Amino acid sequence: MTPPDPARELDHDVLVVGAGTAGMEAANSLGDMGYRVLLVEKKPSVGGRTILLSKVFPTLDCASCIATPRMAATAHHPNVTLMVNSEVDGVTRAGNGTFRASVRRRATSVDPDACTGCGQCAEACTVPMVDEYNYDLVARRAAHIPFPQAVPKKAVISRSGCAPCLHTCPAGVKPSGYVSLVRAGKIDEAFRLHLEDAPLVGSLARACYAPCEGECTRCDLEGAVHIRAIKRFMADRYYATHPEPEYGPPETRLETRIAIVGSGPAGLSAAFHLAKQGHRVTVFEAEPQAGGMLRHGMPAYRMPHDVLDRDIRNITALGVEIRTGTRVESVASLKAQGFAAVFVGVGNQVPKVIPLQGRDLANVTDCMRFLKDSKDGGEMPDLRGKHVVVLGGGNVALDVARSSVRLATASTTILCLEDRARMPAHGWEVQEAEEEGVRLLTSASAKRLLTNAAGEPMLEYRAVATIDFTPEGRMTGFTVAEGTGQPIRADVVILAVGLGPSTAPFAGELELTPQKTIRTDPGTLQTSDPVVFAGGDAVLGPSIVTEAMGQGRRAAYHIDRMLRGTTGIVPFWDQPATVRKDSVLQGCACSHKPASAPRRRPPRERIQSFETYEDAFTEAEARDAANRCLGCGECSQCRQCVKVCPADCIDFSMRDETLDVRVGAVILATGYGILDPGRKELMGYGRYPNVISGPQMDRLLAPTRPYNAVLRPSDGKVPDNIGIVLCNGSRDHTVDNPLCCRIGCMYSAKHAQLIMGALPMADITIYTIDARAFGKGYDEFYEQSRAMGVQYVRGKVARVEELENGNLKVHYENIAGGGTQTMEHDLLVLTVGLLPNPDALALMRGETPAADDWAYVREPDPVAEPGRTSLDGVFAAGTVVGARDIPDTVLHAAAAAAQAAAYIEEARAG
Amino acid sequence: MAAHRRIGVFVCHCGGNISDHVDVKSVADAVASEPGVVVSKTHTFTCSDAAQQEMIADIRNEKLDGLVIASCSPKLHLFTFRGMAERAGINPYQYVHVNLREQCSWAHTDDPGGATRKGAALVRAGIAKAALSRSLHALRVKTAPCVLVIGAGISGLRAALALADLGLEVHLAEQADEPGGAVRRWGPLAPDGQSGREVVGGLLARVRAHPRVTLHTATGLVAKSGSIGDFHLTLRSAGGAETALHAGAIVVATGFDSYEPKPGEFGRGLEGVVTLPEFRDGADLQGGTLTFRNRTVKSVAFIYCVGSRQSESETCPSPNAWCSRFCCTAATHLAAQIAAQEARGGAAVTQVHLYRDIRTYGHNERVYEEARRGGALFLRYGDGTPPTVERADPGLLVKVKDELTGDAEIEIPADLVVLVTGMVPRSNPGLMDVLKLPVSKDGFLGEIHIKLRPVETVIDGVFIAGAAQSPKSMAESVGSALAAVAKAGALLKKGYVDLEPLIARVDADRCLWCDECLKACPYGAIEKVPCGGKEIAQVVASQCKGEGACVPVCPHGALDIEGYTDAQITAMIDAGIRGEAVR
Repeated sequence: MTPPDPARELDHDVLVVGAGTAGMEAANSLGDMGYRVLLVEKKPSVGGRTILLSKVFPTLDCASCIATPRMAATAHHPNVTLMVNSEVDGVTRAGNGTFRASVRRRATSVDPDACTGCGQCAEACTVPMVDEYNYDLVARRAAHIPFPQAVPKKAVISRSGCAPCLHTCPAGVKPSGYVSLVRAGKIDEAFRLHLEDAPLVGSLARACYAPCEGECTRCDLEGAVHIRAIKRFMADRYYATHPEPEYGPPETRLETRIAIVGSGPAGLSAAFHLAKQGHRVTVFEAEPQAGGMLRHGMPAYRMPHDVLDRDIRNITALGVEIRTGTRVESVASLKAQGFAAVFVGVGNQVPKVIPLQGRDLANVTDCMRFLKDSKDGGEMPDLRGKHVVVLGGGNVALDVARSSVRLATASTTILCLEDRARMPAHGWEVQEAEEEGVRLLTSASAKRLLTNAAGEPMLEYRAVATIDFTPEGRMTGFTVAEGTGQPIRADVVILAVGLGPSTAPFAGELELTPQKTIRTDPGTLQTSDPVVFAGGDAVLGPSIVTEAMGQGRRAAYHIDRMLRGTTGIVPFWDQPATVRKDSVLQGCACSHKPASAPRRRPPRERIQSFETYEDAFTEAEARDAANRCLGCGECSQCRQCVKVCPADCIDFSMRDETLDVRVGAVILATGYGILDPGRKELMGYGRYPNVISGPQMDRLLAPTRPYNAVLRPSDGKVPDNIGIVLCNGSRDHTVDNPLCCRIGCMYSAKHAQLIMGALPMADITIYTIDARAFGKGYDEFYEQSRAMGVQYVRGKVARVEELENGNLKVHYENIAGGGTQTMEHDLLVLTVGLLPNPDALALMRGETPAADDWAYVREPDPVAEPGRTSLDGVFAAGTVVGARDIPDTVLHAAAAAAQAAAYIEEARAG
Repeated sequence: MAAHRRIGVFVCHCGGNISDHVDVKSVADAVASEPGVVVSKTHTFTCSDAAQQEMIADIRNEKLDGLVIASCSPKLHLFTFRGMAERAGINPYQYVHVNLREQCSWAHTDDPGGATRKGAALVRAGIAKAALSRSLHALRVKTAPCVLVIGAGISGLRAALALADLGLEVHLAEQADEPGGAVRRWGPLAPDGQSGREVVGGLLARVRAHPRVTLHTATGLVAKSGSIGDFHLTLRSAGGAETALHAGAIVVATGFDSYEPKPGEFGRGLEGVVTLPEFRDGADLQGGTLTFRNRTVKSVAFIYCVGSRQSESETCPSPNAWCSRFCCTAATHLAAQIAAQEARGGAAVTQVHLYRDIRTYGHNERVYEEARRGGALFLRYGDGTPPTVERADPGLLVKVKDELTGDAEIEIPADLVVLVTGMVPRSNPGLMDVLKLPVSKDGFLGEIHIKLRPVETVIDGVFIAGAAQSPKSMAESVGSALAAVAKAGALLKKGYVDLEPLIARVDADRCLWCDECLKACPYGAIEKVPCGGKEIAQVVASQCKGEGACVPVCPHGALDIEGYTDAQITAMIDAGIRGEAVR
């Protein structure tokens, strides 16, 4: 054999695209001839559609017997390089008779070299998906081995992108993951998954504003999945069964000591993640109890103390020491104590003050003091019968007002500058407050306090005329109208007009912003002092709990790296691009029944106490709610596969890789598509469960069949009167497919024979125009079906009607008997048309192979030069040029291989 | 003997395919103390790379010289494990494959205990076989870079060109005086209207110009000896001149015969009742008006499936059961051409097509559509009620029961009746005698497997192409010819072929030459040689298939098949039925 021409520097002699029957045959033939072949297959296994068949006509060999020898030969061929899970992104002519191809290997999240194909990941996986290898008859898991005979037999995890909920969560929690675990009934596992990312699970289940729900793709249907309520169920259930954490300090503890200043969500999160890495962490808290805003800034009806206490034990169990009642006055003092790194998470708890004339006329207080005082269990402020006015329109103002109505006030009024629509507080929170009797006085600016004739304190205010916001929604200024509104009673005035950073002690040591927050590197959260990191509200200003926790985690990651001396750029956030919601919705065939939201007590009842007013889901409710998850991006990141994989081969950091290869010729073997039988609307596919497609019937008869029996889908009944309707969407101008599918008559005869084997008592009727049994041994096979008792009816079925018992009534024209007739069947199989695969025409860059009127690749000289396309050096194998059965595909593919070989020889000869 | 062997046994779970029904651990334990066994283990997937690495380590560390893997069908992984054995440094033929999946777990899903006992018995038998295994080596034969293509029709011509394009020397032998085969005479043909004349003419010109192709007309193959890669052939021309060839492969592209209706069959014998090839030869479809042998045709009836899809009857004791595949498309294509002629201004032609099923498969459907659009009338007749043709005045009268109108008897007057005759196997007794090629049930040349090895025959190195195998269109014939080229190319471009050594061997001491083995061998792989003062049988290694027909007929027990020796089989049976229950 001629040695490869070094001047052409080919990586492979031939690129074969598609590893179905045609691609395998072409590749093996060329490999046998000594050419080096790159075989690229989109799917995880070679074998195409053939391996999914039950048996094959006319010999009734089992499909595995036909496909697996070729599959194994392909996979082990010394001259064939096989790339599965890979797509050819484009092929460009590169001169000298060669081509450049860009081949993208999709990340499967499984290391194929290490995977043994044991399938334990699939058993553990909690994400069900439609099983395309069973033609959608049943579900498979996101982690899966395509089918038992797959070659290579390696697991693959379906992961088309990051779920929007996961992408959105500032704390890096994986809602998709724990929701799918709850759905699977793995409640403890769900909790543990959450704990890996964020320790304050119970608190988040109550206090989180759930940005994930806002991003939930289901919002575009009938409403978001109730993610936070699911978490609440999960956390409550776990804490009820696990009063103490299941773990202690890590086995390997380092000598590095780290100080955390502030025990709010940011500080606790940082402490947790650092302690898990083995560092010795001490948290300093000025207040007598840990928890920061969660404890002191949040009303008890939202954030019960016992839950917070249990949450904090998740952190202290790791050996973290929390020194409460210890105010840190400087970073220097911590360094002096031997701390190698410091995280400052002091929060944003300094109430802002606005000028208010006559403030001594009423009881004026600030929101922080009020919230701290009004926590359940302590000495409550006595507001009985008082008229309370809360100044401010943010979430803190709402917390204050709603706490106040729980203290039996005569009235509680929120007075804020913004109009209702632009109040910074969440809309639902404002609505709930109103339900509870809080009065809103919006677009109003408090002017002064005065006393009315009865000596009662009154608040005078002015109407706001204009108000300005930054594009981000922060108010920058306002003007007031002339005159004042009718003063309102104000025995108590609580200022909730904003909070400022509690950063004053560090002003001399750390660089601050003009807003007095700590200046940090946005990526690492490192401050101007390299061993000091900061996060949470002290950096962000007022933010939400998850943001603070996310920053604590991010800072912990970078502190750990700094202390270990790790260098190099590593992204902290390693998720693939977020999946497009429209593509999720496009492929989803779910019901639109809204799931019940968690029950809330009526307003009259909830204002009687500081008890939580939202009931937790029951397990059934939580799992039902979780079941509404659309599974955006498929893999939910529940990580159960990682836990069970014995070969440790699951790797979510894998990303697509692109290879550029130079080849001497290209063979298109991209196969065919199947016409959606739903396009023949009158036949009922997709509407009537007992109308199935031909490929589905094949699966029902396969040795690896989904139900291990021939059953009809609606009720699992064993059918005893089966109708098979030919030519649905082939020989049919109504779907622009006048071509004959070439295999339908034969595989229907095969179905009939196999059904008779499986269900000897079943009656089978085949509705056909012509019986096209034209290949070697085919007519004999057709005659055998007739001899076995299969009824062939000549004529077209016009429409199908579903009866109450799920049976189908077929209206047809009987050519032989004459006239319109009807027949009842309990299962109906539609033999469907074949379509070209448009990929074949899209593969080449800068040129396109000529196509026929139906978009199959056209052979310019089909008689003398089968397998040749209009493009020099580009060949076509199998059904890419038109429907064919397996024998014809094999011959055509081998012919294409011979053509490609001749082309290469000619090119080598120059 | 077994005591000296060091055998490793590896039992596969096959993920559960086996272990769900067979207790593989019990099987491995039960055979651990068999004679010669030094390792007995289980693996989740013996075929996985990781398991193979471990087994290779065991083979090397334990210095194994016999290997038994109990897993799936050898069809899947025999070669996988032979390759592994080779990588581990032991002879691949000292590896024994035991099928615990298809032949055990899958067959006994209802009886795990029984399946486990049977599994152990099968593995014990495998061990017994491995204990008697010998080191064997593939027989490497140097191949001649030359191919003989028999038949210079469209398939043979295209095959010859493609083989020559691969750099091989080609001899193309055609029995007839003129090359070109069946389609060389005809103009536009189905389905795309490509002219047979032009396509064949083009190919012939390229063949004649190609420096590596030698065309022999009026020449046949008269003698063949040797075997795959190394055939010695003799061609003889009509004039008696002989040519000796040394060829590595043979491509048989001998084409088909057209069915010749029996007298009286659909009016055959009546004036105006013609076959499809006669119509092609005699009709003018290009001129102004349809004529047949220079007579204007105003009405024509086509009767389909003549000589095809026949059922057995008194008049037809050996029916042609097959569908002839090309004829529906060919006839509808003629219909479209006749309609086009009429549309071009020719005289009106009434054309009626009497069919059973119109089998214009795939893209050919558009030809049928075109025929119908052109005004051709199609009537379906029942299988049991074929049309009849009788003389009328003038012309012919066709009578048929039409299904669509409820079996109304319709009388169709016609100037011409075209019997759409199919393809039948070519009668070629001389050549078949030389090649010894088996035929399929229908009499066409038989392939090994229509889907797996569709152009290969049981005679290694002999390939089939075109309509010799089954009825095919021109494009399909050429496609199969190129497929044969790919396979022949794979054989010859490497320069050598490795033959399986699992073949017969003769015990020279016992053999007394009685010629029973020679008579039993269907491959001519036995020859008589002198040996130590007597004559004994010798096996021609390159021709023996290891089929074993010679073994039982030998009255002296002098023959054995390597890998399946009597001693091995007996030992396997003994070990298998020892019946030691697995607890």
